[in-house]
Amino acid sequence: MRKGVNSLKHRQYKNPVGVGKYTGLLLISPFIAGFILFTLYPFVCSFVLGMTDYRSAGEPKFIGLENYKTMLSSENFRKALGVTLKYAAILVPLKLIVSLLTALLLNLEIKGIVFFRTAFYIPSILGANLAVVIMWQYLFTADGLVNQFLELFGASPVSWYGDPDASIYIIILLRLWEFGSTMVIFLAALRDIPRELYDAAKVDGCGFIRSFFSITLPQIKKVIFINLILQTISALQEFNAPYMITGGGPLRSTYTVGMLIYDEMFKYSETGYANAVSWVLFAVIALAVGLMYLVTGRRERDRS
Amino acid sequence: MKKIISLITAICCMAVFTACQKKTDDTITKPDGKLDKCTLRFSWWGDDERHKATLEAIELWNSIHPEIEIVPEYGGWDGWTEKVSSQMSGGTEPDIMQINYDWLATLSPDGNSFYNLNDLDKQLDLSGFDKEVLSFGEVDGKLNAVTVSVTGRGLFYNSDVYESLGAEFPRTWEELIALGDKFSQKDVYPLDLDIQSGGTAWYLAIVYVQQSTGREFISMDGEFGFTADDIRMALDFYKEMEDHGVIRTIQTRTDEDGNAALYQSPEFIGGNVAGVLEWGSSVGKYEAVLPEGALKTGPFLTTEDGTSSGWMIKPSMLYTISKNTKHPDEAAAFMNFLLNNSECARILGTSRGIPASRYAHESLEQNGLLTGLSYESDSMLNNLDTVTISPYMELPRMKEFYNTAIEQVSYDLCDTKTAADEMYTSVSEYLDRLN
Repeated sequence: MRKGVNSLKHRQYKNPVGVGKYTGLLLISPFIAGFILFTLYPFVCSFVLGMTDYRSAGEPKFIGLENYKTMLSSENFRKALGVTLKYAAILVPLKLIVSLLTALLLNLEIKGIVFFRTAFYIPSILGANLAVVIMWQYLFTADGLVNQFLELFGASPVSWYGDPDASIYIIILLRLWEFGSTMVIFLAALRDIPRELYDAAKVDGCGFIRSFFSITLPQIKKVIFINLILQTISALQEFNAPYMITGGGPLRSTYTVGMLIYDEMFKYSETGYANAVSWVLFAVIALAVGLMYLVTGRRERDRS
Repeated sequence: MKKIISLITAICCMAVFTACQKKTDDTITKPDGKLDKCTLRFSWWGDDERHKATLEAIELWNSIHPEIEIVPEYGGWDGWTEKVSSQMSGGTEPDIMQINYDWLATLSPDGNSFYNLNDLDKQLDLSGFDKEVLSFGEVDGKLNAVTVSVTGRGLFYNSDVYESLGAEFPRTWEELIALGDKFSQKDVYPLDLDIQSGGTAWYLAIVYVQQSTGREFISMDGEFGFTADDIRMALDFYKEMEDHGVIRTIQTRTDEDGNAALYQSPEFIGGNVAGVLEWGSSVGKYEAVLPEGALKTGPFLTTEDGTSSGWMIKPSMLYTISKNTKHPDEAAAFMNFLLNNSECARILGTSRGIPASRYAHESLEQNGLLTGLSYESDSMLNNLDTVTISPYMELPRMKEFYNTAIEQVSYDLCDTKTAADEMYTSVSEYLDRLN
């Protein structure tokens, strides 16, 4: 009897559904096949191509790390990397703050809140498509709405598109405006916090701000981290928004690494070089994410 | 599990190496001289007028040859090069393609990436083309593509604006500069030059230098004809145009138009920018957004003493057949229809410029279709001593060099000499690498 219970427990732990090991493998094999074909194979292929001088025509020749050396001495690459890092460094914190604040607002129990929750998500569905590009043009060109608005307050109009120092902000604004998905994740996390904690805090005489820092933030810490990682990755990969809105200009002030890869690959047909740059971008992203894990991991350990 | 992953990775690696090695030895389908039942893909870029005309022409073809179905693939120019070059590297390109002149140099440097059209003479009648025009499509002695029309950039002005300001279209460079001074009092620009996909700014600047010095920017076989001083002269001229208000500075232009093309810009549509330098074959989109008859052809600019050389021509576009096509005969027959069929020519009109094929040209003449801006501009150009644009001049990488220099000069980041020296080095190094 005892033996039976033990073996039952054992089986439950190892294989809760009760199917054989190979059935499991078989069931996930469509994913595995897709992963190998569409992710792993191109991934490896890209690395190999990155070590050749392949130019979309003719035979690829193995040139080792030559492409990476070219990158080091290329001003275009340095500039693009700088723009990308600057873009991510400004966008990611802003986006996290804005979406957290909005999530806090939308977490309030008021009438018709469902409507607002939907409305705030709409910009994220639009993405950087043509309609948005045209809207941005209405907003930010010389006689655009934003400048007209600024003039109302007596401020001088800003050269949004033409000034190399300003142009990156219209792209940041576009992505900031699309805070919906980060917000939804925050909202879900906020709704998971037990109400009792707040009630107890209220009894103890906590104000709104104190309970935000002592209850809300620690409770959604993990979700903030997830959002931080996801947003950093997508910011460093940015391509759509600058491609559609500014075309990378003026003076390459919005030319991200993503655009550089695209241009090298499809415009200049430098397949080898483009793949090498992709791998550097991959390394940069891995480094950034790794650093974040390291820093937060250490803090966790310090606390315990 | 780790073992499995490393094994898979290793297999992938090997697959890549083998894939890289055997790419070029796919066999070409030989023509058999018969027209079989099949479906062919045909791709082109262009404006709405061209799309409409071409779709109508395809309908006509389908009514004559219901057994050979043509599937159209079309869009605007922006991004088209990228689309086709990725199709080419993946081997998924359409059977028949409208291609740009410089793609011959990038996509088929040895003449082996497209079908050798000389092999398809059973279906493709080339007797309507003169030798020089045909030679534009030859690479390494192989006929890769056939020129649809020959064109050059011409000057087109918004005549409503010019009339209201009491100005004539400029005839010389000096008059153009003077117009800038005159128009800027009314906050109007007589012309627009861009550094986007059109890249007209550098084009006009080199026409100016070619006319003044008689030297050619880059020769047909990729020889660099300009000196660093010539480039500086071109950049100086560009800066002069900006300073005199002939054109908007790049900053003003981007501020006003964002990333939009000129023909979508409120400044052009509203008449604040009253001129454009554009290929005769694609001026339609500018004409369409202005009141009817407002856009008129202007004279090609000359020096004070009437030297009119230095203006350029090139095949505006060519048709080619993919070397991967399974139906070369049928593709050639369709291409022949597009180029030479008189009914098809009547439908297409001048939507691809003035046809280079004698048969199509005759058809247009008989139907009284040889009118319009495109025709006016191209016939004026025919009477000038023109230079054929080198395919090297329009390579995307070269355009990057021009734009970098012009942008730096426009934003006053450096003087024209520094920008010219930098551009001279980049261009000569790049040409060396290609040759």
